[in-house]
Amino acid sequence: MSILTLTAVELGERIRAGEITAQEACAAALAQIKAAEPKINGFVTVDEEGALKQAEKVQRQIEEGKLSGPLAGVPVGIKDNLCIKGMRTTCSSKILSNFVPTYTAEAVVNLEKAGAVILGKTNMDEFAMGSTTETSAFGVTRNPWNLDHVPGGSSGGSCAAVAANECFYALGSDTGGSIRQPSSFCGVVGIKPTYGTVSRYGLVAYGSSLDQVGPIARNVRDCVTVLETISSHDAKDSTSVRRQDTDFTSALSPEVKGLRIGIPRDYFKEGLNPEVKEAVLKAVKVLTDQGAVAEEFDLSLVDYAIPAYYVIASAEASSNLSRFDGVKYGYRAEEYNGLHDMYKKSRSQGFGPEVKRRIMLGSFVLSSGYYDAYYLKALRTKALIKQAFDQAFSRYDIIIAPASPYTAPRLGESLKDPLQMYLGDIYTISVNLAGLPGMTVPCGQDSQGLPIGVQLIGDCFQEKKLIRAACALEESRGYESPALAGELENSWNAEAGQKEAAV
Amino acid sequence: MSKQYETVIGLEVHVELATKTKIFCSCSTQFGGEPNTHTCPVCTGMPGSLPVLNKQVVEYALAVGLATNCQINQYCKFDRKNYFYPDNPQNYQISQLYLPICHDGWVEIETEAGKKKVRIHEIHMEEDAGKLIHDEWEDCSLVDFNRSGVPLIEIVSEADMRSADEVIAYLEKLRTTIQYLGASDCKLQEGSMRADVNLSVREAGQEKFGTRTEMKNLNSFRAIARAIEGERERQIDLLESGEPVVQETRRWDDAKGISRAMRSKEDAQDYRYFPDPDLVPVVISDEWLEKIRRAQPEMREEKMARYQEEFGLPAYDAQILTGSKHLADLFEAAAAICGRPKEVSNWLMVEGMRLAKELSMDVDEISFSPENLAALIGLVEKNVINRTVAKAVFEEIFKSDVDPEKYVEEKGLKMVSDQGRLRQVIEEIIAANPQSVQDFKNGKEKAAGFIVGQTMRAMKGKADPAAVNQLVKELLSQA
Amino acid sequence: MANKISDETIEYVGILAKLELSPEEKEDAKEDMARMLDYIDKLNELDTEGVEPMSHVFPVNNVFREDVVENGDDRENILANAPEKRDGAFVVPRTVE
Repeated sequence: MSILTLTAVELGERIRAGEITAQEACAAALAQIKAAEPKINGFVTVDEEGALKQAEKVQRQIEEGKLSGPLAGVPVGIKDNLCIKGMRTTCSSKILSNFVPTYTAEAVVNLEKAGAVILGKTNMDEFAMGSTTETSAFGVTRNPWNLDHVPGGSSGGSCAAVAANECFYALGSDTGGSIRQPSSFCGVVGIKPTYGTVSRYGLVAYGSSLDQVGPIARNVRDCVTVLETISSHDAKDSTSVRRQDTDFTSALSPEVKGLRIGIPRDYFKEGLNPEVKEAVLKAVKVLTDQGAVAEEFDLSLVDYAIPAYYVIASAEASSNLSRFDGVKYGYRAEEYNGLHDMYKKSRSQGFGPEVKRRIMLGSFVLSSGYYDAYYLKALRTKALIKQAFDQAFSRYDIIIAPASPYTAPRLGESLKDPLQMYLGDIYTISVNLAGLPGMTVPCGQDSQGLPIGVQLIGDCFQEKKLIRAACALEESRGYESPALAGELENSWNAEAGQKEAAV
Repeated sequence: MSKQYETVIGLEVHVELATKTKIFCSCSTQFGGEPNTHTCPVCTGMPGSLPVLNKQVVEYALAVGLATNCQINQYCKFDRKNYFYPDNPQNYQISQLYLPICHDGWVEIETEAGKKKVRIHEIHMEEDAGKLIHDEWEDCSLVDFNRSGVPLIEIVSEADMRSADEVIAYLEKLRTTIQYLGASDCKLQEGSMRADVNLSVREAGQEKFGTRTEMKNLNSFRAIARAIEGERERQIDLLESGEPVVQETRRWDDAKGISRAMRSKEDAQDYRYFPDPDLVPVVISDEWLEKIRRAQPEMREEKMARYQEEFGLPAYDAQILTGSKHLADLFEAAAAICGRPKEVSNWLMVEGMRLAKELSMDVDEISFSPENLAALIGLVEKNVINRTVAKAVFEEIFKSDVDPEKYVEEKGLKMVSDQGRLRQVIEEIIAANPQSVQDFKNGKEKAAGFIVGQTMRAMKGKADPAAVNQLVKELLSQA
Repeated sequence: MANKISDETIEYVGILAKLELSPEEKEDAKEDMARMLDYIDKLNELDTEGVEPMSHVFPVNNVFREDVVENGDDRENILANAPEKRDGAFVVPRTVE
């Protein structure tokens, strides 16, 4: 039996049944990480010692009956923009390369309470700014399906690590598609919940009004179980919403009869890779075959989401990232002449080009004389986009769209033209502007064998509708793992076997 | 110089609110303390930390707004003011620009020139910055975030003041009002009340305002008055010599009596305000506002009228006593205990003010307990001590808050009411002064006064003067 | 490109953002920003007259804390990551001349 091919929930069951110990699960994940990381680079920090210790403690608590939740003892990877007390948190940036938080993000606290075993911190685009995980100061993460391709971003490390069986599930964050797009590229399931469902406390902010923490896993049940665990009202986050309906696992059944599906015509126009289009429409058919009703419609304003997003996200980022100044934590330049020079040198040396680009843009659009024309204009556009979705959801239960216009690009292709890269966010970004829940479920592969995901979008607080549809889609296909995941496992298993034989 | 100039002044007054915790985190606001011992991830701008608004801040701001006749924005929001400085841990200050909580109010001030209204443009809530301590030797500054996040309201006036007198009267007015509300102790020296002065001059009769400058670092009424005078002269000198006044921020150096421009090319003064996405709007319902309105305490003007009406105090005394909430509270507490408001007022007005002046104390620093003053008044009333002794005891109460009963007992200051002992002393004095007896018999009333004085001296002041008077006359006539 | 970003603008934004760009970075920044602004100008096609700017998606308001002290002295943790510290405080280059 291979521990690593179990889903998170299956593993949890076996641990509670006493068939596998949390330490064994942790050791297997760490061995896979050791074998995979030279190729994947999905982690910025692996805390081997801490994870084994935690596994031991959790195992004891399970045996004592103190922990009985579905995720107790299951190893997890956490995106490196979620603070964990005592564990380096870098946001994949040089400016935070030595930052060790003294507090833990609320989403992670919720996981810890549920008995999670944290393996380490996963790689990401620097400060979550990027769509490929190539802007990390700690090297690019590679797609386990094809190492010459990117895993997507910004939660690329989390998605690649889950796909490569380095962890059983992971947390990511999604500001403009950063969970849904890499989930699509890596063939895993990811959920960006309704804004305010998961606390942002301890999530290093990029665009505060858009950021949400969410789960990434190998199947729908795992993903939803994690979502249920991390969702909570948090008095430390003023934008946290009080919800009574976070029993998301209650929706884990493929009931789609009568489900009204909207297909936004504008999302299937030119620019969409035909293979992706075909796979997504096939997914729609899977649902209509089971009694769902699909209809094309005009969502409107689709072309305005990206410009509005980049104004809002950059403006908020320029302010959010001004705290990185070499005074209280993080990188301080070695040589400088006076206070302002210290600021400038620390920040200029500490931030990468994409982060600087967005800080510059954000500072500009907020500067004197431009605020109305850019920032307020973008907030007005956001209001109209929200209205357009409200209208759509008066007619449809869910909207189905691609998660990205294409499958995972080759490494090095995307960063040459930032604007072109931004345009790739077209199907995911408006969901953040409107605060909606969105979910990616694998739905096929392109001719190169790269995964394709379908995006399900719901009205605010309607995650359960997405979950039911996701269950139906998953049932029709099942989970497919990249060949590499198994190869890596065989390699370290073989090595261990040789060692055993030698003894 | 022949032209006449008018000074036009507006104030930005920052007041630290008297909450127990900071505006966005539950750290203590206590003054003092070792550097950074009242801090947490929120008020030091740690990554991932988030602000949550202290409700009491809103209630204090509303109370001040209502007391200064402001309109209330029942839908208000917080904005970020972006600028880099080490005392500002996030490098943005959470403040209110677009929808401040209060606007368009006024207060009435009175100076020698008469009564006048000063309009208030707005009042907004914001967070205070940390403190920088400069190290001359090491060429560095130390940052202490204990003050970072302490709640402030900023009260912005219209440019309605024309002299330092009016400015001081306005500040006094704000201070008393806010102290009465209990919203702040308003201590300029400790920085819990700070004023920035916007000043311009224009030729008398001109409609148009001149170019204004903003002066910071003013931490006493005296400094404010001097800074206004200094800046007025500086601007007039510039205009007289045909040079323009530059709109800028200047720092007042009270020791040198000059101001200096605070400009640097690194300060673009472009704050890029935008609504703080981490905080949600504050919606103030009519009910909430009404609750605050009903809970407003008796303000100074009402108190002043009541003291005159209810206690029969002279207008002047009522004005002085109510000039400080602290003094008024002391007065009312002592009066309530002993039931002699006039007596209490007399002690405070005469001896209290005299001692305060002598010890150059602010009335707010008077800190004895009302129980002790009330007890003192009781001792006098019951003839346990006479007024001369009482004055000395009051001084002890004033300086070290002694319990007058114990003090009088310990020091043996009680009046001697033993008639036998008194009679004996007087007889001895009469016997030793035959000339006085003779004078008295010859009709010189003054001679009795001499014997009374001698007796009081012999009794070390501890005799009831009326009783001594009576007995001296009686014994003299019998002699 | 319809938008043109001058050297002065890049210099000015650099001061606001506290970023120091090399000459090449400046040239790139000028072009990147102009291209982005051209793209963002697409928003001008949209009639937003009378539309209220939306900062929060949900009409959540009045989220408060009670005025109760909960935090104690946490100085050691607060200073744990300081690049330079002394006497319980963060050290920065001298702020006044």
